[in-house]
Amino acid sequence: MTEDIADVCLIGVGAVGGILAKQLASAGLKVVGFERGPQPQIEDYAPRDSIKFTVRQHQLDWVKDDPITFRTAPTQAAALRYTTSPLNLLGGALLHWTGQASRFFPADFKVYSNEVARGLVERAGADLDGYDVVDWPLSYDDLEPHYERFEWEFGVSGRSGISPFEAPRQRGYPLPPLRRSARMEVFAKACQRLGYHPFDSPSGILSQPYRPPEPYDTRMPARPACVYCGHCNWYGCHVHAKAATLYTAIPVALATGNFDLRTRCKVTRIETGNDGQASGVSYIDAEGQADTQQARVVIVAAFVFENVRLLLLSGLANSSGMLGKCILGHGDVKAVGTFDDFVINGFIGPGSAAMRVDDFNSNNFDHTGLGFIRGGTIGTSGGGAPVERIDVAPPGMRRWGKEFKDYFLRAYSRTFELNMQAETLPHPDNTVDLDSDRRDRWGLPLPRVTFTFHENERRLQRFLAGIGEGIMRETGAETVWTELPKPAPNRWAGGTRMGSDPARSVVNEYCQAHDVPNLFVVGSSVFPTMGGYPPTATISALAYRTAEHIIQQREWFR
Amino acid sequence: MASCWDVLSEPLRVLTPDEAQLVAAIAERIFPATDTPGAVEAGAITYIDWALAGDYQALLPLYREGLQEIERLAQARFGRQFARLSEAEQDAVLIELEGDGQGQGRRGSDEGFFQVIRRHVLEGIFGEPRYGGNRDLIGWNLVGFGGQQFGYEDPYINRTVDLPARADD
Repeated sequence: MTEDIADVCLIGVGAVGGILAKQLASAGLKVVGFERGPQPQIEDYAPRDSIKFTVRQHQLDWVKDDPITFRTAPTQAAALRYTTSPLNLLGGALLHWTGQASRFFPADFKVYSNEVARGLVERAGADLDGYDVVDWPLSYDDLEPHYERFEWEFGVSGRSGISPFEAPRQRGYPLPPLRRSARMEVFAKACQRLGYHPFDSPSGILSQPYRPPEPYDTRMPARPACVYCGHCNWYGCHVHAKAATLYTAIPVALATGNFDLRTRCKVTRIETGNDGQASGVSYIDAEGQADTQQARVVIVAAFVFENVRLLLLSGLANSSGMLGKCILGHGDVKAVGTFDDFVINGFIGPGSAAMRVDDFNSNNFDHTGLGFIRGGTIGTSGGGAPVERIDVAPPGMRRWGKEFKDYFLRAYSRTFELNMQAETLPHPDNTVDLDSDRRDRWGLPLPRVTFTFHENERRLQRFLAGIGEGIMRETGAETVWTELPKPAPNRWAGGTRMGSDPARSVVNEYCQAHDVPNLFVVGSSVFPTMGGYPPTATISALAYRTAEHIIQQREWFR
Repeated sequence: MASCWDVLSEPLRVLTPDEAQLVAAIAERIFPATDTPGAVEAGAITYIDWALAGDYQALLPLYREGLQEIERLAQARFGRQFARLSEAEQDAVLIELEGDGQGQGRRGSDEGFFQVIRRHVLEGIFGEPRYGGNRDLIGWNLVGFGGQQFGYEDPYINRTVDLPARADD
């Protein structure tokens, strides 16, 4: 039993946890951070080893202990799945993220009032039966300064003022875009011919050496520029050009002297006092000993599955019945193209060195008669070492034998794809709950995910496949095909929805539990709707905003 | 076809000699030697042997059942051991074994044996050499992949990489 009372217990020290730790500890609050995974050294994450980090990633120390179970319908048996979001080590999944650092659009925060309430569902001929579409309780303008802080503290490379759909911003990007690759050039030319609006995707990877200037946090370490080694998505960065809290925000937090970091410590329960407020956490330490830590504020920042599981296990924050409901995910659609002669060399450079168009993202286009609402970003993709590409072959081709060999030897360096991140709307049947059959190594029931794409997603995915195929054909690729999403999403959100109505949401706009005012839940789990972009920039902005709100509650910490 | 003994430079860790020979025969149909090296020469058998002795230990029973199934199919269809069949006959056995089974990808746990060995053969050709395969960086050089380069200068963005492939250890 630890006697002292911390100001804050932070559960999960990853992407948002790293930002929260830095901001709160810098404001003088005593923060105890619990990270269930290890603190990796550079030799643990930076070897450019495609066997270790891609094909055997489910056996990584920071993946193998935290599987989920997954099924597409309640009538199915849930199967064991190893997921790489979260990544259970200090700094979390930012260590191996692709680097897509886009903001959401203003319309992404107000799908209900902008689209549902204004008759756009009927105009589109969409079928939203069974969905539970709501607005965010905050607007893009509320997050804008926090997006900016994320971009300037972590060093986002990009160019503003190119995309006509760009969300309003007070400042441009701190760094120019990453170097263009062959696939970016052919994509941009094809899109221009088709009348779309290509632009260099903002990336959380440094295009030049960088250290944040004033008025941002100048304690953040200087980092070198990307060397385009190409071992990026799934790998730790061997030069630290990739934005990751592990070697940026977390060392700054530790240097304050106010951040007590406890790695390999698994929080098993959030404790409450007689007043119903959170009083601290129970955890199992690195030696397997149970312990407790008292705190004035508890923050759960452990990704979608764990955020829901921990609240369910603790019996907290569910008076709305919404805990674990309306899980969201992108159903990525692909359009793949192979050139006979043009060399793409997709293995060079980071995946987030990309061109994209937002002509079919969000509510940026006329949906009349299309049969769905919302959209998704379309961008270049398709890197990776050879072992990551062995399943990339045209439909109908046997993926072994002489024909496959001849194809693969030539196509590996001449193929790329468009990745289209189709939004998923909130549906109460997509859930995370506790698996009654399987437990993890700490004896806790695994999170059980029940998820399927519903009618709006299926129509949107087919539409984007057609758009992507058209772009890919326009590039001049000789062999083109499309792939619809696998049953499980590529990026997850939802489960602890934020909202202004306590009867319909778990947390408020400050990620503060309606039921337990000194309990916060931060991360993509709070998203009421998902947008057609990855969550990273938005969860980071939410972390800055939540930290600011907590710091303002001086009376809590007297 | 080259016997795997011609090219196996490492002692077997877990496969028996008979099993290794059968794995080699299968691997050569999955990624055959043509005017360029096939799976055996590229080191896929050593890769699979090391993997089954290590990280893929749990798959050893699947392998042993799968190899027996292949021999059973070879006997049932053609009355001979798999390794003694013609290439076309071997392909027919593998096509039957493959069925219409769609691989579930690297995170799936419910792949059939054929999808598993297919994947492992290709990992063995194209993985980092420290895992026993990709002998002499044959696999990487076959596809024009630079391997574990520190980074790439701009001109390589859209022209064939003429740097020798590089492995860290």
